[in-house]
Amino acid sequence: MSLAIRIIPRLDIKGPNLVKGINLEGLRVLGKPEAFAKFYYKQGADELFYQDIVASLFGRNSLHDIISRTAKEIFIPLTVGGGIRSIDDISNILKAGADKVSINTAAIENPDLIRSAARIFGSSTIVASIEAIKQSDGSYKAFTDNGRNSSNKEVIDWAKELEQLGAGEISLTCVDHEGSGNGFDLKLAKELYNAVSIPLVIHGGAGDKQHVLDVTRELPISGIAIASLFHYDFILNNRQLDGFEDEGNIEFLKSNKVPSSIKSVSIKKLKLFLAGNNVNCRIDA
Amino acid sequence: MPFKRQNIEKQIQLIPKEVLWCKRCVVSNQRPRIIFDDEGICSGCRNTEYKNNDVDWEKREEELVKLLDQHRRSDGHWDVVVPSSGGKDSGYVAHQLRYKYGMNPLTVTWSPLEYTDIGFQNFQACIDAGFTNLLCTPNGRFQKKLARLCFEELGDAFHVFVLGQSSYPFQMAKKLGIKLVFYGENGEAEYAGDPEYADKPFKPSTEFVKQHFKGVPFKELLDFGLKNKDYLSKDDFAESDLVFYEPPPIEELNEAGILGMHFYSYYHKWSPQENYYYCAEHTGLKPNPERTEGTYSKYSSLDDKMDGFHYYLRYIKFGLGRCLEEAAHEVRDGHITREEGVALMQRYEGEFPQKYFRDFLEYLNITEEYFWEVVDTWRAPHLWKKVEGNWQLRHPIE
Amino acid sequence: MRKPYKIAVLDYKMSNMFSIRNALEGLGFEVEITSDYQKIISCDGAILPGVGAFPEAMKNIKELGLDSIIKDFILTGKPFVGICLGFQLLFDRSDEIEDTLGLGIIPGEVLDFSKLGENIRVPHVGWNHIEKRSIISKLKDINYQDIINDKESFYFVHSNFVKPFNDNHIFTETKYAGIKFCSSIIKENIFACQFHPEKSGQKGIKVLSKIFNK
Repeated sequence: MSLAIRIIPRLDIKGPNLVKGINLEGLRVLGKPEAFAKFYYKQGADELFYQDIVASLFGRNSLHDIISRTAKEIFIPLTVGGGIRSIDDISNILKAGADKVSINTAAIENPDLIRSAARIFGSSTIVASIEAIKQSDGSYKAFTDNGRNSSNKEVIDWAKELEQLGAGEISLTCVDHEGSGNGFDLKLAKELYNAVSIPLVIHGGAGDKQHVLDVTRELPISGIAIASLFHYDFILNNRQLDGFEDEGNIEFLKSNKVPSSIKSVSIKKLKLFLAGNNVNCRIDA
Repeated sequence: MPFKRQNIEKQIQLIPKEVLWCKRCVVSNQRPRIIFDDEGICSGCRNTEYKNNDVDWEKREEELVKLLDQHRRSDGHWDVVVPSSGGKDSGYVAHQLRYKYGMNPLTVTWSPLEYTDIGFQNFQACIDAGFTNLLCTPNGRFQKKLARLCFEELGDAFHVFVLGQSSYPFQMAKKLGIKLVFYGENGEAEYAGDPEYADKPFKPSTEFVKQHFKGVPFKELLDFGLKNKDYLSKDDFAESDLVFYEPPPIEELNEAGILGMHFYSYYHKWSPQENYYYCAEHTGLKPNPERTEGTYSKYSSLDDKMDGFHYYLRYIKFGLGRCLEEAAHEVRDGHITREEGVALMQRYEGEFPQKYFRDFLEYLNITEEYFWEVVDTWRAPHLWKKVEGNWQLRHPIE
Repeated sequence: MRKPYKIAVLDYKMSNMFSIRNALEGLGFEVEITSDYQKIISCDGAILPGVGAFPEAMKNIKELGLDSIIKDFILTGKPFVGICLGFQLLFDRSDEIEDTLGLGIIPGEVLDFSKLGENIRVPHVGWNHIEKRSIISKLKDINYQDIINDKESFYFVHSNFVKPFNDNHIFTETKYAGIKFCSSIIKENIFACQFHPEKSGQKGIKVLSKIFNK
């Protein structure tokens, strides 16, 4: 396959800050999203993903400014998710400069939104996001509001339905693995990959470059979204401590620590590692 | 005959009749022992200011090291008792004391009324992180009746847990000859209670009745129950079943050299959210697989099925529910803005903890109708009004 | 030679044109997003962008009269660029959703990937590389041969692909799911590509810069 795997840094954003949780919980601030985005672009990221993690919780959208600023300087595709509830919301986010929108909560509450949006903006513009949490009986349910409220929809069935509705891609977040650095949920990823015939991006669990390689070995996944692994690498050399007066708890940033479960790595190094292991990925010369 | 409650709960009689909301965070003046200053800012916010600007944390850590040096033992005996649920706060304290400061903690756990799956899982994970643990489960026949008494006459079934959680560690400390008892947070400091103890390294047991036991000593509570409740009699317990509901007398504690509740939050700047991250990394802590009812978070106080009713009754009694408690702390910590705190409260505050309602009714051996009868007697008239058959807060947060 | 400085981005109410504008403005060009005849004709270059469905695009284009404007602009000999859906619209017809006639400027048709085989995952999304064919066209002093290097990677996102009837128009080809499809064409002063140069990093920006510059 000459189509390269997409390495997609995922930035969780709250207000003006980039935050990083564990299992989609916690608002630990790591810095300003623009700084991370610029760095990742230079390092050869294939796409960027911005998630407004409190948009659904607070019933708001507030990423337009950062989207516009990003789009002026960063010329790779930008997907934006978080609190997108209507055709107007989608239109505004695209106008601000995003290329794709990611929808979760609103799709569960009103699946028809996906159908209308795909028709109006094109399937390839609409990414359906699924937040999967494992239940005590081994099944996976899809959650909304940043991994908070159960929809009672079983993940695989819901993914199939989303494809029928016209979603262009599925982005799967393994909530139980997210932020933990314990690796991806390969079993779930494979099951979902086999259940649909649209591209799949997996997110949640990368703690080591080996984890990323493992996914590519298990299945011909279209893209891998990565947060902790890259963010904690960035702050090793780029710790910004001012500009958080209005909001943002930077106790962790001030502490100068790095979580032990994350063997952070830069995008460049990760891609070289993958290429060295015969994975087709784009190396920006 | 409809339920009619008595007036042994002391706190509720002292709250102001005019409801005010803190201008900076989202707590109200209805919280027992809170103080609002002339600018309309609560003691919790003032304490946070103080924590952020005026405390020399390096010096505090030096004090901690000095204290621990005095108590550390190398003879194979425990040197500190850590009351621990296995949750984010106690897990953090136990882990730090052992792995950072080289102490020999004994973790002691006063059992939740009924363990949730995630609670028990986290409890065991914490033990697996390297701690010997004593789990004490009180006489169920007695405790359930006591819980019902507390629900009816104190407006909080969960009170039985608080009694044990504040007392059992001291009983064990005395029995085992351990002088240091380390709790995590100073609730009065962190959650806008009595500012008098906001900045002290420990709290003596003489303060427990006022600050933790709603002004009612345990024996008084029990006597009241025996006299007034037909479901509770001397047959339901032996004297030995009562030991862990009260700390040892102050004279015995003094003689044993046990000063009281030490607070880790006095020595290290306390951030519940950072404790979550710490424990996720070090003690195998996992958050709730779904949002905790009554609030927006997934990492706070997950171990007891009955926990939700403690917060729900607090919401009825004071208009202060679970969401408010967490939101206020996060606003003060700077995780969220006041507007966001208000938005969260408007969405989740007062959410009924439906999931374990059946379990709660069974635990107390009451019907659903009776539950609501009792609940309604706890609605302070200055807080609640009925609008078209539905109860509403008179002064919700704006 | 006159250096192009104002570029019309044709607005047919369907696409996110802001990336294109950001890219062009970043290069120092003046950008006019419009469907107005006068404004377009007076520009030094024009781009037909596009994301969305072929039938709806053609409907809008016809309603706005853009079909004749495009043809007139191309007749002026100034550089004309088609991107993604804008590339596909230049052809005779497409079978996306329903059989629809295109602008008919370049002989060929647009076909659906998924109709070619069982296991073809659509859309084709991500970075893929191009293989260059030898040069066809030269416009004044612009050597199109130089705008792209062989084996360079660009960003693709599409479910349909073009099949030009005239082999001489094919500039680059790309492989996906075992199929080799045409990823860009050159015909006289038209350069059109399936990929998104404005989303392909610095290399993509360079392509735009070379087309509209000397």
